[in-house]
Amino acid sequence: MGLTSPLIKRAALFSVAGLFVLAPGALFVGAAHAANYNPTETSRRDAGTPNSTIVIKNKAGTVIEYGNKYILYNAPPSKLDNLGKALFMENCASCHGTQADGIPANGTVGAYPDLVGLGPATVDFWVVSGRMPSANPRVVEASRRQPRLTPNQALAIAAWVNSLAPSIPLIPTPNLANANVSDGAALFALNCASCHTIEGDGDALAASTFSPSLRNIPAYQVVEAIRTGPANMPRFTGNLSDQQVLDVTKYVTTEIQHPNNPGGFGLGGLGPVAEGFVGLLLGVGVLVLVCYWIGERE
Amino acid sequence: MSEVTLTNKRAKRRAAGPYGKVGKALNELDDRLGVAKGGRTFMDKIFPDHWSFMLGEIALYSFVILLATGIFLTFYFIPSSAIVTYHGSYLPLVGQKVTQAFSSTVDISFAVRGGLLMRQMHHWACDIFVGALVVHMARVFFTGAFRKPRELNWTIGVTLLTLAIGNGFLGYSLPDDLVSGTGIRIAYSIMLSIPFVGTYLAFFIFGGNFPGASTIPRFYILHCLILPLVIMGLVGAHLFLLVRQKHTQFPGEGRTEKNVVGSPMFPVFMAKTTGFLFIVTGFTALLSAFAQINPIWQFGPYDASRISYAVQPDWYMGFLDGALRIWPSWTFHSFGHTIPFEVLLPAVVLPGLIFGLAYAWPMLERLYTKDNEIHHLLDRPSQRPKRTAVGVAALAFVTMLFIASSTDVIANFFHISLNTVLWLMRITTILVPLVAYPIAYKICKEMQGVHGAGKRKTPNIVSRTVEGEYLATPTPAYHDDLGHDLAATVVPTFIESEPDDTDEGGVRIVDR
Repeated sequence: MGLTSPLIKRAALFSVAGLFVLAPGALFVGAAHAANYNPTETSRRDAGTPNSTIVIKNKAGTVIEYGNKYILYNAPPSKLDNLGKALFMENCASCHGTQADGIPANGTVGAYPDLVGLGPATVDFWVVSGRMPSANPRVVEASRRQPRLTPNQALAIAAWVNSLAPSIPLIPTPNLANANVSDGAALFALNCASCHTIEGDGDALAASTFSPSLRNIPAYQVVEAIRTGPANMPRFTGNLSDQQVLDVTKYVTTEIQHPNNPGGFGLGGLGPVAEGFVGLLLGVGVLVLVCYWIGERE
Repeated sequence: MSEVTLTNKRAKRRAAGPYGKVGKALNELDDRLGVAKGGRTFMDKIFPDHWSFMLGEIALYSFVILLATGIFLTFYFIPSSAIVTYHGSYLPLVGQKVTQAFSSTVDISFAVRGGLLMRQMHHWACDIFVGALVVHMARVFFTGAFRKPRELNWTIGVTLLTLAIGNGFLGYSLPDDLVSGTGIRIAYSIMLSIPFVGTYLAFFIFGGNFPGASTIPRFYILHCLILPLVIMGLVGAHLFLLVRQKHTQFPGEGRTEKNVVGSPMFPVFMAKTTGFLFIVTGFTALLSAFAQINPIWQFGPYDASRISYAVQPDWYMGFLDGALRIWPSWTFHSFGHTIPFEVLLPAVVLPGLIFGLAYAWPMLERLYTKDNEIHHLLDRPSQRPKRTAVGVAALAFVTMLFIASSTDVIANFFHISLNTVLWLMRITTILVPLVAYPIAYKICKEMQGVHGAGKRKTPNIVSRTVEGEYLATPTPAYHDDLGHDLAATVVPTFIESEPDDTDEGGVRIVDR
């Protein structure tokens, strides 16, 4: 059977034809993927979850509730809109503008972002964690402080900003009973520890940027942070399912925030730095003092 | 009548001789092995009593703890990189794929009775061991105890320090957790950075590319068998030389280059040092019971795809980590070959220079001072300003490198930029030793000029005369500070039946 065999000829013909059909298809799919993923300007509206079993819309067709048995996302109640507007004008408008559309970024510190369409979870997280209103708007990364506004006031601001252009992610309510802490530990090591450290204490990252400590953060705020990606943090949307986010949240709110420390004092989770200080100053130090005590002193 | 006397307890004891049953047993031993002569020499061995001479004992007894707890750990540790599914009592790890080394270490912590305490004692004892070695080395350096005839013992000591650091690193790596795995990765990269031979060396030591299945078993044998044996042998040689050459002593009344003044091995020194062994062990156990160290279950298993931010090695490797962190990123790349100076210089050349200088110091000092005499009397650090200043500068340099290994912690703690801290450390690591040298030198010079510097101040007695005038009269110096407490007595050369009544202070003098 030579190269001129009809079977070979036919196979070659089909291959070439197939290639002509497949190549544009592959190109099209690739382009579609590329269009979907733009790291510099991601559409904030794609932050939903691919596996929402519950989707509830209001009369206007806006999604007001979605989620599944792991995390339920709710829109802030619209009756808070007026309160939110008043609070926004009082606390936020001086930087973000009266229409919450911010001051365009010009590459310098102190450009105030556009808040429209970011989703209520974003606004709620920044306000309820005390980062906003910022004490020093010129700082590169606002840090967590004692909140100026109550959780309800934060929710009101989120409600008003959301009313300008309804979007997601909505305010999450994680159902920790359905979480798997073991998967959470593995996901934490893979996705979070590279900045927040494996013990969740946070650390300085680069010039004026840092990863905050994960202690004393309520579960819903952990979900908000993962889904909205505040400051330097990447926004985990499609790459982590609601179940996985819930697992991480469970690990953070249990083992990270309340480590069992069966070995005694945890030494602040600083690892070998703290251990070295204790070993040298307390360990060697005390034993040298014992030497001084039992030896002859001149 | 005589039978009645013999039933008397006191009479019986008198009949047994001054050393009783112990003496009889020793007699039997002596008849067969002739231990009396050597034993007498051994028991009369004189140890000077200064507190700073006991620093090495902290290291020795920490090493004893390391051996004891280490043997315990080998019963349960499995040195294997085979992957198993964890099914232990620590919930966040259940179902995760981990290596047997990691799994068995977590089991030692949670499933073995007393295992966590043993693990923590082993780790704390290691931190204390290396720390005590450094403190002991500093004492030997600053008092000039390394001079002729003790250069060899100094060399053994520096070797012990390097081996202790190396073995500490190996042991730290064995649990195969996320943090220590990162450490092995760095060690592998450091080996790779050596020009021309680096790749072959790394493949030879690690048995292939990183991460490989040979790493843990090889580290285990090195950590538990080979290096401890070498360390034990060197400790034996170190102590043998100490006994052979006799201990150094500070100058004082009755103390010359020709004698040793101190307590005899038996009973004074033996009681003291045994007590000290218990104190070191007890304190390490106490520390291990209350302070958690290396909670590997929080770190999780090592996986090349995972990384934790802010990972530091144990403190004794800190100076290397610090040097790596602050070194500028210089790389030579040409002729199809890369020499990563940013790794080679801080992690290979720099420690080589530091330890090379330590090895060479006795020789360098002899070259400089032309002093070829035998020294058994120690220097006060203030008497040798240049040596002291060099030592202080060297310690300052290594300490600054050590601090540089926590740049991120400093930046986070003080809320300053990490880049600022980096540059701060680059400058201060060079600046601080340069400043420390003249300061130490000047302080030494100053202390030489001040009479009674370093001694306790005596009180002034303030009195009022009948005219109403107040007078402050200084009281004489403390007895201890004058060195008069060492009235030396000659050691007996034969076994006496009567206790030596001149033995009051427990202090004897013996010819060298």
